Amino acid sequence: MNRAAFAEFAGRFSESWVAVASLVVTVLFLACALFAPWLSPTNPYDLARLQLIDALKPMGSPQVKPGEEIRANFALTQGQLIPEANDTDFEVEACGANCFIVGLADSSAQLMSLQLRGLPRDAIVDGASKHPIQPWWTLNAPENNQARVRFENLPADARVEAIARTDNQPTGFIFQLGSDAFGRDMLSAILYGIRISVFVGVAAAGSAMLFGTGLGLLAAWRGGAIDAMIMRAVDFTLSFPAILVGLAILAILGSGVEKVILAVVLVQWCYYARTARSLALSELNKEYIEAARGMRLPAWRIMLRHVLPNCLPQIIVLFTLNIASAISLESSLSFLGVGLPLTQPSLGMLIANGYEYIFSQKYWISFGPGIVLLIMIVAMNLLGDRLRDLNNPRFES
Amino acid sequence: MSEQFFEVEGLNTWFFTRAGTFKSVRDVSFNLKRGEVLGIVGESGSGKSVTGMSIMGQVEKPGKIVSGSIRLDGKELTELSFDQMRKYRGRRIAMVFQNPLMTLNPLMRVRQQMFEAISEHENVPAAQMRERSIAALKAVGIPSPEERLEAYPHELSGGMRQRVVIATALLMNPDLIIADEPTTALDVTIQAQIIHQMRSQITDRGLGMIWITHDLATLSELADRILVMYAGAMMETGATAEIIAMPRHPYTSKLLESVPSNNEPGQRLKQIRGTMPSLLDLGEGCAFRSRCERASPACEISPPMRSFSSTHHAWCHHPIEG
Amino acid sequence: MQVVQTVFQADEVSRVFEPARGTIEKLTDRLTGKRPAIVQAVDRVSLSLAQGETLGIVGESGCGKSTLARMITGILPVSGGTRRFRGEDYESFLARRRDALKVQMVFQDPMSSLNGRLKVGEIIGEGAVVHGIVPRSRMREHAAKMLERVGLAADSIDRYPHQFSGGQRQRIGIARALAVEPELLVCDEAVAALDVSVQAQIINLLMDIRQESGLSMIFISHDLGLIRHLCDRVAVMYLGRVVELAKTSELFGNPVHPYTQMLLAGMPRISTERRTFMPIKGEIPSPLNPPSGCHFHPRCDRATDHCRISRPDLREKGPSHLHACLNA
Repeated sequence: MNRAAFAEFAGRFSESWVAVASLVVTVLFLACALFAPWLSPTNPYDLARLQLIDALKPMGSPQVKPGEEIRANFALTQGQLIPEANDTDFEVEACGANCFIVGLADSSAQLMSLQLRGLPRDAIVDGASKHPIQPWWTLNAPENNQARVRFENLPADARVEAIARTDNQPTGFIFQLGSDAFGRDMLSAILYGIRISVFVGVAAAGSAMLFGTGLGLLAAWRGGAIDAMIMRAVDFTLSFPAILVGLAILAILGSGVEKVILAVVLVQWCYYARTARSLALSELNKEYIEAARGMRLPAWRIMLRHVLPNCLPQIIVLFTLNIASAISLESSLSFLGVGLPLTQPSLGMLIANGYEYIFSQKYWISFGPGIVLLIMIVAMNLLGDRLRDLNNPRFES
Repeated sequence: MSEQFFEVEGLNTWFFTRAGTFKSVRDVSFNLKRGEVLGIVGESGSGKSVTGMSIMGQVEKPGKIVSGSIRLDGKELTELSFDQMRKYRGRRIAMVFQNPLMTLNPLMRVRQQMFEAISEHENVPAAQMRERSIAALKAVGIPSPEERLEAYPHELSGGMRQRVVIATALLMNPDLIIADEPTTALDVTIQAQIIHQMRSQITDRGLGMIWITHDLATLSELADRILVMYAGAMMETGATAEIIAMPRHPYTSKLLESVPSNNEPGQRLKQIRGTMPSLLDLGEGCAFRSRCERASPACEISPPMRSFSSTHHAWCHHPIEG
Repeated sequence: MQVVQTVFQADEVSRVFEPARGTIEKLTDRLTGKRPAIVQAVDRVSLSLAQGETLGIVGESGCGKSTLARMITGILPVSGGTRRFRGEDYESFLARRRDALKVQMVFQDPMSSLNGRLKVGEIIGEGAVVHGIVPRSRMREHAAKMLERVGLAADSIDRYPHQFSGGQRQRIGIARALAVEPELLVCDEAVAALDVSVQAQIINLLMDIRQESGLSMIFISHDLGLIRHLCDRVAVMYLGRVVELAKTSELFGNPVHPYTQMLLAGMPRISTERRTFMPIKGEIPSPLNPPSGCHFHPRCDRATDHCRISRPDLREKGPSHLHACLNA
């Protein structure tokens, strides 16, 4: 297509604002898919970073930094309390004879508790309660995160262990769309889900296009028995519901990206084959094909260089429509639990994951991916419809 | 019978597209008497078909009748609403197209289609509709019309189909028939028959007919008067004999000269150089000037009407003098 | 004495079309013993064409003239009969693809006869490059030369067909045929879709090319005026058969077959006087079910019982004037 023809096409396309909007939305989704690793705030595949404490948080909740324990050992020798192994978490100050202040180096966060273990029995820790049996002194919400320890008699040699517990704290990170049952950020999960869904959709519909168009051209070119065989195979495939074919294939082969793609190809190739065949047959009747025959061009050249390019616009329209249907098929299969592996959740699986919580009012897990999937498929379908209308002069007003 | 019952005056039909305004019909005027056939001849893009569509009130967006008046028995047609115009179509003005399959419904028998054409305008019993349909089919030379009434369009040959369309057009006894290339798709022998039958129907019934075609030869055998159009404008009009024997406009003259039978066999044909200009950038002046051998700077301004008889006029700065 | 070489010869070539039948239809046909309706598009036609000659084939729609054109160019195979190019049978002639380029065709429809996805330069140059007549590096140059030969600007090679008018597209179609140096050019209704003023330009172009290169031509048309202007000899076809074959002046001056006479009478001509019409009987019968014997007998005034039964063969009436009428 040259520039003037493209300008004309773009002009006609933009006559419908719905089409322009759906193009914008589709492009946005493609960008989301391409740039998900850079756009998404967290990596939802990094299982190590998930914390159960974040599970099922509603939209807008902050991520929680769970309370942690900081431990350090001290040696009490020659009247000195010295941290072992160069521990820098704690600081020790002397406060007169037989008196030490043990404190957390970082005093910004308020500690929940500070426990000291292994002190001699006669030690006194200000404000602390002693364990009835063990030599453990616990100080709740210590002032300045410090504990003052005094000794009646300084023992000659002892090991002291300090355990500081911090509280759960909200972090600056907000779950904009809530989190799922594993504490995964839904926004990141959706962005990666779009990536997976679009990848599977494009790859599957693309493979189906190559395979189906090839067979359709072959049928049109050879005719006779080959044509009949291919077209009966098309009829056979079309007589099964797509979801049933997908379920059967994945039930046999197990789940996996390439298996989902295979399932979609087996469902969709027949649309391309049928369309390519009928387009090619009508092109083969045109005079420019007779002219090519008169030029004694080889049959493969006529098919690939003359017939195929003239069929391509309609096939590309079918492709855009079929990406949407491939995405929805993949999502359905994933929703039913036979599609993609759990480690790579697509939009369908995200919806399925949230399904069990919907009735406990934790709607956001299914809601976000559901809306996104809906918008994406509607936009792609509208775009495909518009392209089809533009390709078919009969629809012109 | 000789009064002018149909007049078109200063008709301008333009198409407003993204690429610009196509002035498909510019300042076209003509009139028609009862029993007369006016032939409009022109090449593709001459505006002859758009003229026909304008009369039928069938100019669709982005086209529009910009100005001009179309009067049937003094009644202004351009002011009619869509519904009023529909009553005129079929009953008073009928149209016949090049492709009969555009007019005929492939799923209906000839009888149903003809009856429908009557019942849309009149409430008459079936027996009478049948009688009238058979009479109309006979008038256009269809053998055994009773059988043809029961046929579906695909069961008829191309010539038969076109005759059925013409018979349907005649059913309501319209005042005016507009025929747009009605015989172009037909074979020579069939074409000759249909032209002959049309001619006799026009004379017998005293209707007016506008016959739109690119073929001067058929017109010379059928039309009483000829209007030559080029790139949306009138070039020349006159009685058929005047136009054929003594064309005044260089375009008409060249057109006649380029027909093979007006040339010595085996010799190069006298051709018109160049191609028709785009209707987008015509500007003022004669549309033919870019291809005309007689063109001069004067042709840059709109050509005046030159009269050579009461009926014979040409719009040209340098007409061929007798 | 100069020996006139025969360029093309057809001996009793026929072409039968069967309607496309699916597997199930074929099965039911076999079970019920029904034979599918066939169309005998071309029925035992014999023609020959001398070097530098132009043969016209005239007839109405459905007479098989376009099918015949495609058999002559080898685009369609024959169902029966033989074709020869300079004495060589078409089987071996067409197998040598590069030699087979010597027969080229110009098509009717200027819209659909050019591939809209290719640039004009590729449309014209493709055949010559594929068959090694010119190297790929010189394709543009070759195409530009051909464009100039048909009266178009050489820089048109980078444009697409839809950017041209009907007449210009037809010139491109002619340039495509000329690009592979043909010896026989078959023009199938090559100007029928064009406007009158453009028609004359294309006819003149074809006549110029014929004169320059000594091409032999087969010119197929329904337009008798054109045929008369352009051709040395004319074959009249009716429902798949040749009914009359004669020198142009002979055929137009002294037509023998009643169908030819009818065609000539119906031929519209520009004149100031009204002709009186000879009423013409009937319509062209369907090629699916042609009349027995002489196909023309239902429309013929001279038909006898003999005409209803036996098929008339071409017979001579004077030198180089053949006709197929039993009662001439």
